[in-house]
Amino acid sequence: MASNAQDNNAPLRMEGKKEEEDEEDYEYSPFHGIEKGAVLQEARIFHNPQIDARKCQQVLTRLLYLSTQGETFTKTEATEVFFSITKLFQNNDSNLRRLVYLMIRELPPDSDEVIIVTNMLMKDMASNNELYKSGSIRVLCRILDSSLLQQVERYFKQAIVDKAPVVASAALVSGIHILKENSDIVKRWGSEVQDAVQSRNPMVQFHSVALMYMLKNNDRLAISKLVSSLTRGNVRSPLAQCLIVRCVAQVIADSQVYAGQERPFYDFLESCLRHKGEMVIFEAAKAIIELNNVTEAELAPAITILQLFLSSSKPVLRFAAVRILNRVAIEHPMAVSNCNIDMETLISDQNRSIATLAITTLLKTGNESSIDRLMKQMSSFMSEIGDEFKIVVVDAVHKLCLKFPSKFRSMMSFLSSILREEGGFEYKKAIVNAILGIVRTVTESKETALTHLCEFIEDCEFTYLSTQILHLLGEEGPRTSHPAKYIRYIYNRVILENATVRAAAVSSLANFGMKVPALKERVRTLLKRTLFDNDDEVRDRAAVYLKLLNKQEEESKTPQVLRGKNISLSGLEQSLREYLATPMMETFDIATVPEKELAPVVNMAKSKDTSGPAALDELTLKSDFEETLSSIPEFADLGPLYKSCEPMDLVEKETEYTITCIKHIFGSHIVFQFNMTNTIEEQVLEDVSVQVDLAEAEDYQEVCTIPATKLPYGVVAQTYVLFSYPEGTMPFGRMVASLNFVVKEIDPSTGDEEEEGFEDEYPLEDIYLSPQDFIHATKISNFRNKWEELDPETEIADEYGIGVRDSLQDAVEAVVETLGLAACEGTEAVPPNARSHVCLLHGKAVGGMEALARVNFGIDRNMEVAIKLTVRAANADMSEALHAIVAEG
Amino acid sequence: MGLFTAFLDWLRSLFFKKEMELSLIGLQNAGKTSLVNVIATGGFDEDMIPTVGFNMRKVTKGAVTIKLWDLGGQPRFRSMWERYCRGVNCVVYVVDSADHENVEIAKSELHDLLSKPTVSGIPLLVLGNKNDLPGALSTSELIDRLNLKNFQNREVCCYSISCKNKNNIDITIEWLTKHAKS
Repeated sequence: MASNAQDNNAPLRMEGKKEEEDEEDYEYSPFHGIEKGAVLQEARIFHNPQIDARKCQQVLTRLLYLSTQGETFTKTEATEVFFSITKLFQNNDSNLRRLVYLMIRELPPDSDEVIIVTNMLMKDMASNNELYKSGSIRVLCRILDSSLLQQVERYFKQAIVDKAPVVASAALVSGIHILKENSDIVKRWGSEVQDAVQSRNPMVQFHSVALMYMLKNNDRLAISKLVSSLTRGNVRSPLAQCLIVRCVAQVIADSQVYAGQERPFYDFLESCLRHKGEMVIFEAAKAIIELNNVTEAELAPAITILQLFLSSSKPVLRFAAVRILNRVAIEHPMAVSNCNIDMETLISDQNRSIATLAITTLLKTGNESSIDRLMKQMSSFMSEIGDEFKIVVVDAVHKLCLKFPSKFRSMMSFLSSILREEGGFEYKKAIVNAILGIVRTVTESKETALTHLCEFIEDCEFTYLSTQILHLLGEEGPRTSHPAKYIRYIYNRVILENATVRAAAVSSLANFGMKVPALKERVRTLLKRTLFDNDDEVRDRAAVYLKLLNKQEEESKTPQVLRGKNISLSGLEQSLREYLATPMMETFDIATVPEKELAPVVNMAKSKDTSGPAALDELTLKSDFEETLSSIPEFADLGPLYKSCEPMDLVEKETEYTITCIKHIFGSHIVFQFNMTNTIEEQVLEDVSVQVDLAEAEDYQEVCTIPATKLPYGVVAQTYVLFSYPEGTMPFGRMVASLNFVVKEIDPSTGDEEEEGFEDEYPLEDIYLSPQDFIHATKISNFRNKWEELDPETEIADEYGIGVRDSLQDAVEAVVETLGLAACEGTEAVPPNARSHVCLLHGKAVGGMEALARVNFGIDRNMEVAIKLTVRAANADMSEALHAIVAEG
Repeated sequence: MGLFTAFLDWLRSLFFKKEMELSLIGLQNAGKTSLVNVIATGGFDEDMIPTVGFNMRKVTKGAVTIKLWDLGGQPRFRSMWERYCRGVNCVVYVVDSADHENVEIAKSELHDLLSKPTVSGIPLLVLGNKNDLPGALSTSELIDRLNLKNFQNREVCCYSISCKNKNNIDITIEWLTKHAKS
């Protein structure tokens, strides 16, 4: 019997000599110990002129067994087996046939080889035998390409309405598969599928509903219609009914419901709660519970049904019900509290999963008085459940503690006791997170929690958790009544742990040293020992902290370094780079980062639009600009400032000079304001101006340029260029700009600038002007009225393709931004899953000229978006200009 | 009377039952599937769709049961012919004798196939189909054009037939049944 593993004929023998088998072979698998090589050898019998159907079936079963066990076949092996299987076609043994179909589906050879069986399968499909038909259909849908599919399409159509359920189901399921690749073909089967929905066979009904839904999946209206017809009809199959419930749930989720309005299809869901089949009832209850913004009134019937399930004799129903109730208990504890009595009994359920869910649900819904009792019950069975359920419990305890902070003692002791038990990383992480969460909200719990955590890290195998706890100890430990007692725990880590934890422990220790003067000397001694650690990071940290401790700069500067407060990291990086470029004779002074360099870099305009709470407070910005500009004599008579555009960068980031351009629009003039920063310390620039060539901007005329006299290192200076343009137009323009200046070197030793400078030019990026620069995005409430008011003569409509987008919402945002108009009446939001959308836009240009745009969006299956833009404006030129923006962009 | 002969046939088949397996190859539109139909049922259909893959038919002629592997003739199937020629009793190569342009391709495909060691020694029957059409090659012309004389160590035979007019189908079947194994 020891040779079982080698004996490939074992299954055969077992059947023949069953009585003689020993008792120890009672649970003997017929596939025990079979090997690929041997089975492939056996597969040669397929070539025999006389086919032994029984033997062949056994070999095929073994091949299938191997492939389901994860055995892979090389390309040659698969091809060899496949061609030998083709020899078995047309055998009259129906079981062998089924295995052949299955085998070709499960072990698909190359697509150019599998085509060889097409003709035979088509023959089977057209035969009169139901089994051959269904089997061949299921294989054909996997191997046919679109042109061949068209040839046999009519057979598929016939099969869908075939009398035999097995054939109809096969064709419907094949339809679902074909839909993925060749949806056009399946779309033509609509009426047949519709017929199949009326089938008396539950399985056919289920599959046809599924296919029907998939066919219409892209069309919300059609889905809505389909669902309403399905909910009215009498669908017998419970599976199909479940599917409909899911479709309904999807339709409800996609439709927008306004407050106070009856939710569509809710009646249907509720009626499903009275269905005969338990799975339908459950599905409906689940759908109701998962509705968006579900109300207590809507929940009530579903909860009542689930309550009945709680006392069912079937464990699976109890589990399903309690699991759903557990989920809903977070948001609607009151609705679930009716079930509390039933759930109390479930705590002693034999099935520990049910018990866990019941107890955690009770924790969520229960009141303060019952907590202690529940916690006690829970500790008793924690050891009997799996990690994922333990995590559920921990989460529940965490939430409970936030709800009833006064009960933290019992919960903390519960958490610490389970923290000491065995468990995986996720579980331990959940516990630590729960404890940390409690520490944050319930301050009284801090000391107890820290003690528990200290004990935990004594024996913690997870680096991530150890470092997290050590950090917390460093933060919180010094502020407790006895900081000294934590030192031992932390220093133990330095001795015993891996490098990452050691480094964290060093930081934590240093925190104690810096915050608790009494401990400083002791910490210093400990840190000195770690200077000999064999890990770089640990040594580095120890050295840094020792230095800091020695400097005695406790509260003033060190915490800043330690936590990186108030330092912009990019600023720090920049100044460090600059420091590295110098000879590094002096020590780098961190204090210079925020004060000296960071402040000037953030210039007036930037500080307003990047760091302000609202992205751009346009009014204040505009008045600021207005003030600055009108103080310049050349700009005094330009009239009121209409609009200032957002700054745009004219150079790459991190080059010698940073230059941004802000366009200020006046009635018939435009001012370019250039904000310049010199980032080279050894240079000072004088007589700086931006020269703008009107490359493609015939409608503009340069009026004057106002240079900046001096641009020293690190200071923002402005230079301006003024242009005029014909009033009432919004001309396009591209201008070539360059920075002209005189450079003077600065002597690094004295800091004096040299007498002689030389002229230089620095190319900038082109400046573009387009109509949206002239238009203010303004919202209006009544789009329709405004639309009617404007002259229909000015209306221009055109269609554009705007390429592939992630979603319709994405496309809408992009178009709105390109046009520079504001979306009105909330049309910027696209409903979920919409395939088309209409967006209404409005803007106001210089001189109060208004423009309205209606944009129709459509998205196809390939996420290709097309838009139709219809514009009405104060005059036809303006309409054209808006179209030009889209055409150019 | 009919009943009696049927009974006699059955008796005879009990004692003298023979089986054979043959593969039917050739370029597309040569008339392979038509030949199978003619042999099996005697019917002929002008309207045939190309065979995608292969066709398997079992035909009983007298005491001989013939298993016919009728393979698709399109280029994508030609590499697979060899797999269905291994171990058969004979290979039947059908040629459209009125399609002069493709005779050269037919020749090279045939020689390619038969040069493979797995099919060495298997008897070959070449059938020049469509001899009802004007300009069809005669047997001797076919032997010449396909260079059949070149095959050594193999029994080779060539007939000119017409599936449409059932011309020479009888001698073809006779030749085939002669090669059946007992």
